[in-house]
Amino acid sequence: MLLSALLMIADQRFGYMEHARQALGLIAAPFHWLADTPARIGSSFSDIFVNRADLIEENAKLREELLLSRQRLLLAESLSVENNRLLALQNAVDMLEQEVLPAEIINVSPDPYSRRILINKGGNHGVLEGQAVLEANGLMGQVVQVMPFSSWVLLISDASHVTPVEVSRNGERALARGGQNSGTDLELEFVVPNQDIQVGDSLISSGMGLVYPKNYPVAEVVSVTHSPGQPYATIRARPKAQFSSTRHVMLVLDATGPDYAAAEEDAGGGDGESGLASVNSAN
Amino acid sequence: MASPALLNSLIALTFIAAALLAIVPVPEWALYYRPEWVALVLVFWVINHPERVGIGVAWLMGILLDALTGSLFGLHALGLALVAYLTLRLRLRLRLYAVFQQASVLLVIIGLQLLLLQWLQILFDLPRGASMIFLAPAVSSALLWPFAWMLLGGLVRSLDINR
Repeated sequence: MLLSALLMIADQRFGYMEHARQALGLIAAPFHWLADTPARIGSSFSDIFVNRADLIEENAKLREELLLSRQRLLLAESLSVENNRLLALQNAVDMLEQEVLPAEIINVSPDPYSRRILINKGGNHGVLEGQAVLEANGLMGQVVQVMPFSSWVLLISDASHVTPVEVSRNGERALARGGQNSGTDLELEFVVPNQDIQVGDSLISSGMGLVYPKNYPVAEVVSVTHSPGQPYATIRARPKAQFSSTRHVMLVLDATGPDYAAAEEDAGGGDGESGLASVNSAN
Repeated sequence: MASPALLNSLIALTFIAAALLAIVPVPEWALYYRPEWVALVLVFWVINHPERVGIGVAWLMGILLDALTGSLFGLHALGLALVAYLTLRLRLRLRLYAVFQQASVLLVIIGLQLLLLQWLQILFDLPRGASMIFLAPAVSSALLWPFAWMLLGGLVRSLDINR
């Protein structure tokens, strides 16, 4: 028995277990559904027991927000048109419109050392391994394991995850690794003292590594320490995404460049096609 | 004795409940102290009904747990198989112990399981904690053991009476 268990681990290591994992994912789905029930009941209760005044207030607030965001969107559109024109002038690839798939978080990893979440969209919805997951405020992570009706997302704050970022102020590039033992904070790796990164700088995804869309907010620098004996500065950054308070996330189905699309077709095969029909467009 | 079918379904139900408790989302700080629910239930059944629940069942539950948590395949399977094996070896002694003595043995058994998981995680270079806090679930499981023993024992007895 012990021997067979060891065999399984070896199998996993070399990736022969994908099919078994898919099958077991089907068995796991009802468990996750059940485990999620309290949260769902909770939210439906709060939907029922909400009073009129609150609703009116919330409605007004949302309307105001909508107005504001619409105005910002208009501004952003004109900027993006201008940006595309400038990029075209530079002979660069222009940005593609990104298609996103809304998803809900249905579970978090029970292992305290790996920061992963389970979302309610899987292979049957067109999710592929390596797709980026965004939240309204910032970058969340990427899909690492796809099951038929759900998938595991590795958060950017996981210690084994590195996000290529750049400082929005001056374009300094860096690598943001999930904190080893510092909660959800990120640590910037290999930043030499003469790189210009300050507290309060906002970090955006640089698009390198072709996993994440370019220019999406990732984190904000909260502390910079230069110690004389160390070759690199110690820089901590707090992710913009609300990992623990949000339930709704977005999966990016299309990435920024044609390279990425080609790379993904190679990796994913044709099984993503069926899901794309039900996709809501971002804009 | 309860009828076999009834007992089997009770065993299945308790295992399903334990698996659910193992993945129910809890606050961040509580993650480190989450008791090993499946191991608790497993030890109870191995002590009381070794003819029904053995290393094989433990291993299958481990595979289920691996699928639920998205961890490396066979990780929990191996851990729970170890728990079942140790409990089987100590079963006759454990039956005679008072429940608090059982809890202290359980502390060691689950501690060994966690140690094995930790080693495997280091072996396969998986994310893990740097401190000894990975042993915390053994303590919380041992503290919970008397209650689990009473609850599960009560369930079995109530089945006997109702028959």
